[in-house]
Amino acid sequence: ASKKMAAVQDGSIKPEPENEIKIETANEVPGNPGDASGGVPPTAPVATEKPAAAATDSTERQTLLAVLQFLRKSKLFESEEILRREAGLLNETGDSQGAGAGGAGLGGGGGADPESGDASSLLSRVAGAVAVAESPNATPAPAKVTGGEDQPDVNVVLAAYSQQGDPVLYPVYYSGLKRFIDSVLDCHRAELSQVFYPLFVHMYLELVYNQYEKEAKAFFDKFHGDQECYYKDDLRILSGLTKKEHMKGNETLLDFRTSKFVLRISRDSYQLLKRHLQERQNNQIWNIIQEHLYIDIFDGMPRSKGQIDSMSGSLAGEAKREANKAKVFYGLLKEPEIEVPLDDEDEEAENEEGKPKKKKPKKDSTGSKSKKQDPNAPQQSRIPLPELKDSDKLDKIMNMKEATKRVRLGPESLPSICFYTFLNAYQGLTAVDFTDDSSLVAGGFADSTVRVWSVTPKKLRGVKTAGDLSLIDKDSDDVLERIMDEKTASESKNLYGHSGPVYGISFSPDRNYLLSCSEDATVRLWSLQTFTCLVGYKGHNYPVWDTQFSPYGYYFISGGHDRVARLWATDHYQPLRMFSGHLADVTCTRFHPNSNYVATGSADRTIRLWDVLNGNCVRIFTGHKGPIHCLAFSPNGKFLASGATDGRVLLWDIGHGLMIGELKGHTDTVYALKFSRDGEILASGSMDNTVRLWDAVKAFDDIETDDFTAATGHITLPENSQELLLGSYMTKSTPVIHLHFTRRNLLLGAGAYNP
Amino acid sequence: MAAPKVVPKDAQVMTQILKDMGITEYEPRVINQMLEFTYRYVTTIIEDAKIYSTHAKKSNIDADDVRLAIQCRMDQSFTSPPPRDFLLEVARQKNQTPLPLIKPYTGPRLPPDRYCLTAPNYRLKSLQKKVSSSAGRISVPRLSVGAMSSRPSTPTLGTPVSQSVTLTTKVGTPVSLSGQRFTVQIPSSQSSTVKSAMPSTPTVQNVLIKPSLIGSKNILITTSMVSSQSSANESNALKRKHEDEDDYDTL
Repeated sequence: ASKKMAAVQDGSIKPEPENEIKIETANEVPGNPGDASGGVPPTAPVATEKPAAAATDSTERQTLLAVLQFLRKSKLFESEEILRREAGLLNETGDSQGAGAGGAGLGGGGGADPESGDASSLLSRVAGAVAVAESPNATPAPAKVTGGEDQPDVNVVLAAYSQQGDPVLYPVYYSGLKRFIDSVLDCHRAELSQVFYPLFVHMYLELVYNQYEKEAKAFFDKFHGDQECYYKDDLRILSGLTKKEHMKGNETLLDFRTSKFVLRISRDSYQLLKRHLQERQNNQIWNIIQEHLYIDIFDGMPRSKGQIDSMSGSLAGEAKREANKAKVFYGLLKEPEIEVPLDDEDEEAENEEGKPKKKKPKKDSTGSKSKKQDPNAPQQSRIPLPELKDSDKLDKIMNMKEATKRVRLGPESLPSICFYTFLNAYQGLTAVDFTDDSSLVAGGFADSTVRVWSVTPKKLRGVKTAGDLSLIDKDSDDVLERIMDEKTASESKNLYGHSGPVYGISFSPDRNYLLSCSEDATVRLWSLQTFTCLVGYKGHNYPVWDTQFSPYGYYFISGGHDRVARLWATDHYQPLRMFSGHLADVTCTRFHPNSNYVATGSADRTIRLWDVLNGNCVRIFTGHKGPIHCLAFSPNGKFLASGATDGRVLLWDIGHGLMIGELKGHTDTVYALKFSRDGEILASGSMDNTVRLWDAVKAFDDIETDDFTAATGHITLPENSQELLLGSYMTKSTPVIHLHFTRRNLLLGAGAYNP
Repeated sequence: MAAPKVVPKDAQVMTQILKDMGITEYEPRVINQMLEFTYRYVTTIIEDAKIYSTHAKKSNIDADDVRLAIQCRMDQSFTSPPPRDFLLEVARQKNQTPLPLIKPYTGPRLPPDRYCLTAPNYRLKSLQKKVSSSAGRISVPRLSVGAMSSRPSTPTLGTPVSQSVTLTTKVGTPVSLSGQRFTVQIPSSQSSTVKSAMPSTPTVQNVLIKPSLIGSKNILITTSMVSSQSSANESNALKRKHEDEDDYDTL
């Protein structure tokens, strides 16, 4: 624990007529409201005790005695001596520092460093949760002691807020800092202004925690208007938080407290700031900054306001550089080689003249080209994946056939958009998904039902009952057809089982299963052959916001209100991996095309990329100013696109861990993002009833990620949203909830009509 | 025509709250929902506080009681997700175990049966076509709980063989087969269990059996009369997890 001693100049403020004793107390003194309760053994992180500046002498006396006793207990005899000596003088002079220098006994065996006789008080600081605060001299306000007696987890965390400085002076400190930052050079000002918001929030929360309601309110009113506009929502929540009890139930804010807000500042600006704050009168702020902020220093040019703005906005500040340094295998897994038999149906178009068809089997050439392992691709066996069944092989063959008929998209040839509007949903449509071959569409509703429709003329059939199944001929060629029960054919099927609105839906790649997650905290697996529910996966105890099957099937992920995302396998009733680290709900979860990584977007406005193998967070992307609602990986696995409530679509380079593009245009939350099949076009759908098409090739072309950028994370985003926008299409007052490119690059959209 | 509506003060407060939180678009129902919630919540808290204060033998409710009431309710209904360090710890442990290998060719990959919802929620008991002793005697299907009047005649604990028992039920005439529910004696291991309190109402294991399965016209109704043991029976019987079928009989 590094102890930081700082001398605080005293005497600048004249004490009030009443006698006051300022005593630096050692940490670990159990908080006690002014009463003598000395001798109580120090407990785990506890707020420091501040002597109540009561009018009565007896209280002061008692406090002194308590401190003396404690010092004795901790075997700090010298300090005790000095304190005893000084205590006699205290009542005379108004501005003596209580306890002299010897007061700083450090818990945990640190040697106190008495600077005896010095009129200045010592400030000792222990890193970690136990903060030792010293009372600045001459605080006129009555000091209320924070009680740190209670030990439940929440309070341990909350107690990290020990008293730092005089609450009444907080506005003074803050204004002082403001003045200083206004006075620095322009180039530094933008960077140093980053400090305002976290400082403001932390100071405010501390005032609230220490139950200085009036001061907190005054502080808030005075300074909340100065903050950046994109923090407005946070500030609004803060404005409703006026009492200590309010903080207890709010996990997000608690996490905000305990995690350090990360700021990235250039070395020059940092030196400037440090020098200023280490001057005597600014010590309090310096302490607070050290306590709650993590300043990631980089060498280089200070960043401009624009650069900073694009990267900031999240609840935890920006990402430290080390957080984005791990190697990520973003390449795709090799496709298995499949023999593609030429069959008759495929040749219809070509062989109209009736030429004899060649029935030579064609080898699938997509996989065999690159015999060498792509260095950026994970090993085939990095994570266990299910084997390829015959039906999967058939599916792949179909896929390849369709791929040959795929329309090549580009700025000159935009996709046609076919939009499916859900009528009479009464604003209850909460989730939509299409199968990969676009034959089925499923909708999740707020009345807790899931409905599956067939998009093609082929109806949905259930499997026959057991009795009938025993009667069919199992050796016939079309046994797969015969197991279906014609009597149950219908256009759509309803799936009942959830007990809360269904927020996420996902088809399995082999079209046998459907997953749905709901507010009732379960994820259900439905069979699309019997149209019944097979399993309910319980693990989240809070609403689950999103779920998705892995591109290879078998695994699926879910993310919910409890701020973790879980990886499951269909045959395990408990999750295999837990991805924990977000500060607020996980609102969107997506698999990488190679199934080795999972991206989660959260209400804390960050996106994290997790490694499935060991659960580590390998990337943190900040920059959105609102909760993230959709993510999309590019088909080549290199890039990630994200959309949030701020209406912007941000593009990220996974390999380098940087933001490479920003697509502005939408005016409301972006709920759907999808790349076209070959990655040329990015389609985005939003609550503002439009679908926009962006030129992805061009957006990713202009990256210049040289070493400097990668090292420092400086990005200069080109303002080219207008050029990248290829088209904007309005729906008829239907917010777009889902987008899907068919195998032939036709764009399908889905939404509920909302007049 | 009604007089111009005056919005009650509480509703005005709600509107103001929504405005303060920056919510501009909302359905008018939202105000009502908020009001309802507020009233119910506050009433619950105050009632609880009253209970606590009487328990502490105080004459009036004071702030401590209210605080306690709020805290208890918070822990009960408004729980919040676990704290971050706890989650991190759990995640660390869980992420240490390597991913399990996938066995090939195992058919649909589902968790063990007891974690699935695929079990039948009815039970077919084997029909003991005991014709001999009670040939010709057609018993009437049992009635539901209302038929408490039935004589708990045969105690038959432990006899696996079906016994026919005629019930004196309210309905005298045998009714048609279709749609009837028949009970079949459970050839299960009973006994052991509890002769605990014999519930007054003989609970019957009713199972819907397709008429086609019942060949003979003689329908033997046997009571798993052993009502007391029926519940025990059920648990002993087939291990499938299912809920007890409801005890009613429709005639």
